[in-house]
Amino acid sequence: MATTYLTLTNELLRELNEVVLTSANFSAAVGIQGHAQSCINRAYNDIVMAEPQWGFLATGESGATDPFYGNVYVETVAGTRWYELKSSSSSIINDYGSIDWDNFYLTTIGVSGASSPYTSRNLKFITTEEWKDHLREQENIDDADSQNYGEPRFIIRSPDARKFGVSPIPDKVYRVWFFAWDLPTALSAHDDAIVFPDVFTPVLMARARYHFHQFKDSPQNAAFALQDYKEGLKKMRSALLNPVPTYMSTDHI
Amino acid sequence: MATQPYALACEGGLDKSSSSFELLRRPGAATRLRNFEVDVAGGYRRINGFSAFGGSSAANPSTDNDILGLHVYADGVIACSSTNVYFTLDGITWLQINRASVAGGGDNYSTFTGRSAAARTSQGLAHFATYEGDTTYGEVIITDEGSGVKPFYFKMTGSGALSDRTYFAKEITVDGSVYPKFCTIHDKHLVVAGSSTEPNGIHYSGTNDIDDFSSTGSGTIILDDQVVGLRSFREDLIIFCRNSIWKLSNINNSSTIAVEPITKNIGCLDGRSIQEIGGDLVFLAPDGIRTLAGTVRIGDVELGTVSRAIQPVMKDIADNIGTYNVSSIVIRDKSQYRLYYGSSSTGDSSEGIIGTLKTNAQGFTEFQWSETKGIDASAAVTSGFNSSGVEKHYHGDYNGKVYNHDTGDNLINASGADANIVAEYQTPDLDYGDLGTLKTLKYVKISATPEGTVSTKLRIRYNYDDSDSPQPSDYTLSVDKPSLFGTAVFGTSAGHVFGAASDPITRQVVEGSGHSNYFRIFSDDQNSPYTINGIYIDYEPSGRK
Repeated sequence: MATTYLTLTNELLRELNEVVLTSANFSAAVGIQGHAQSCINRAYNDIVMAEPQWGFLATGESGATDPFYGNVYVETVAGTRWYELKSSSSSIINDYGSIDWDNFYLTTIGVSGASSPYTSRNLKFITTEEWKDHLREQENIDDADSQNYGEPRFIIRSPDARKFGVSPIPDKVYRVWFFAWDLPTALSAHDDAIVFPDVFTPVLMARARYHFHQFKDSPQNAAFALQDYKEGLKKMRSALLNPVPTYMSTDHI
Repeated sequence: MATQPYALACEGGLDKSSSSFELLRRPGAATRLRNFEVDVAGGYRRINGFSAFGGSSAANPSTDNDILGLHVYADGVIACSSTNVYFTLDGITWLQINRASVAGGGDNYSTFTGRSAAARTSQGLAHFATYEGDTTYGEVIITDEGSGVKPFYFKMTGSGALSDRTYFAKEITVDGSVYPKFCTIHDKHLVVAGSSTEPNGIHYSGTNDIDDFSSTGSGTIILDDQVVGLRSFREDLIIFCRNSIWKLSNINNSSTIAVEPITKNIGCLDGRSIQEIGGDLVFLAPDGIRTLAGTVRIGDVELGTVSRAIQPVMKDIADNIGTYNVSSIVIRDKSQYRLYYGSSSTGDSSEGIIGTLKTNAQGFTEFQWSETKGIDASAAVTSGFNSSGVEKHYHGDYNGKVYNHDTGDNLINASGADANIVAEYQTPDLDYGDLGTLKTLKYVKISATPEGTVSTKLRIRYNYDDSDSPQPSDYTLSVDKPSLFGTAVFGTSAGHVFGAASDPITRQVVEGSGHSNYFRIFSDDQNSPYTINGIYIDYEPSGRK
């Protein structure tokens, strides 16, 4: 089991010679103990903000619906351009934390009633500027007039980042697969566990220590902790985000 | 940020009157000091307990009747209980001494014990006076606050077993049906006062004739206030009244004898609080313990309150003086004045105060205070030198038992079982010089002088015990008694450690932070006493948030 909120908080308290908590009084923490809890969550948020697409934040396991790329999909409706990225979300507070806009994929495979030959294509991301300059007018006229619609080829992002749009406006039901990452859930109960491997807890602790020392007006110790955090974060990125080999190719002869 | 040191020496005693901010500048004082005593040698010492007088064979003088008074006499102790008076050498065998028709030349043991009892009708809390004179053990006069009988006279001569001694006993007639409550010996006179029929009357016996109130040198004085106590002090007889204090001078000169008021504004709440210590008379006044000290100028008198530090305790006593009995004792080798208060119903919860005369850091001698709880001595407590010149201390309770006072490592509860001594010492909240700075405590070192193996607990509370501040659990401190050459036996079973320091420093890692904190050292056991000398604290200041 991953490290719990109680363990992390007590590690911080113990390191700074403060009174530790128990599972019984964790929810009633006062003063410096409450601040230690806050420091853990702040550190957690700091790590997430540093890289919103940590693997441990993925909305679903990739490839869960083999062979599709992506961990979530939205089904289009004929004649509808805009779709909420997360239909269950009521506001941006609960939306996905991050979206891979370069990997949207359109298909009829899996759509109820669809049969071969299936549609299957990547959706190219275009900016809303490109879309409004070159596509919006004719698509809106079609929508208001003949309603022929078409098979989407482009994906666009709504300015509030809550929705994606497809262009052309779809003529039938398609599935749009994409990759999404959740926002972090703040640790609350004493047995709430962090979502990343224990080996990375020192990074979180370094950041929490940084906040704690700032509270205690100890800039030197805070600076040491910040340095630990930065180095730890670099290693964490290296381990979790960039483990694959990178190649450079050239066509020079 | 580097850690910083702070040290406090335990001195000043209990202070319940100063504000928390005033106490910031008096870190050595105590805000709680219960069942500790201020040690004249420094520090706060957990008090001794008490033990049954007579040990495992101890017997009560009068079944389970209240002990109404105790008095060290000869090589034993006199106890008043029920309607009788008893004498014992050992606390095991009690000899009833309130006998009637005793021969003027004295009775031998068998004759004396065969005499009928001279019942001390309605006997209340007793007062004693010893006229040393030229006899072996002196002569004892007993009056009591029941005011139902005449003063009782007792003398004993001889040595060895009680059966080998000669006894003298009789009642002394003062004036008809005047049955005085209070008595004292002053300048060759027995002085009695305060009968129920004449509460403001004072009678003094003839010169060198303490059992005759009509012989040469005798006389009577009527005051305009009710007498609550008498005490001979230097050249004068101090007469403590309910609302005033008087001084009788020149008792042996009929032409210059005089009674003058010392004060008409302050009286004495209870005559059994009066003691002489450190060249002063101390007594319980409505506003606390006061001294009555003669000054260099003859006739001039200085009044002063010496218990301001424990004024809330004194107020409680004064407010409940109608229900409390009060008794007091001086323990000379500790420079202590002890006052016990309670009633027959307070039992194991009975309380008391201990004032130790001690020279403070400024060079002034003052009383430094502490409290007791669990010593049910408000009925009777006494100290005195026996015929061997040894100071003895006894107290009695409301169950008829007599105890050796201030000895041993345990109390005895109302059921007669050994009981723990619950002791606690608490420092004021310490700000380490700056209340605004947050401090994280690292460790403390406690200097203690153990008199045996000691196990105490240490409690730390931050920010005036603020419920919004995390507070650590208690720490257990164990201090082993050092083995000193020639005085101790080696071996862990005896609780001695070879090579240990006589005043060991116990280091305890602690946790928590706050702008201030206090330390409480407490124990609840029957271990040996220990003295807390001081506390060293290592802390890390960390900003002003």
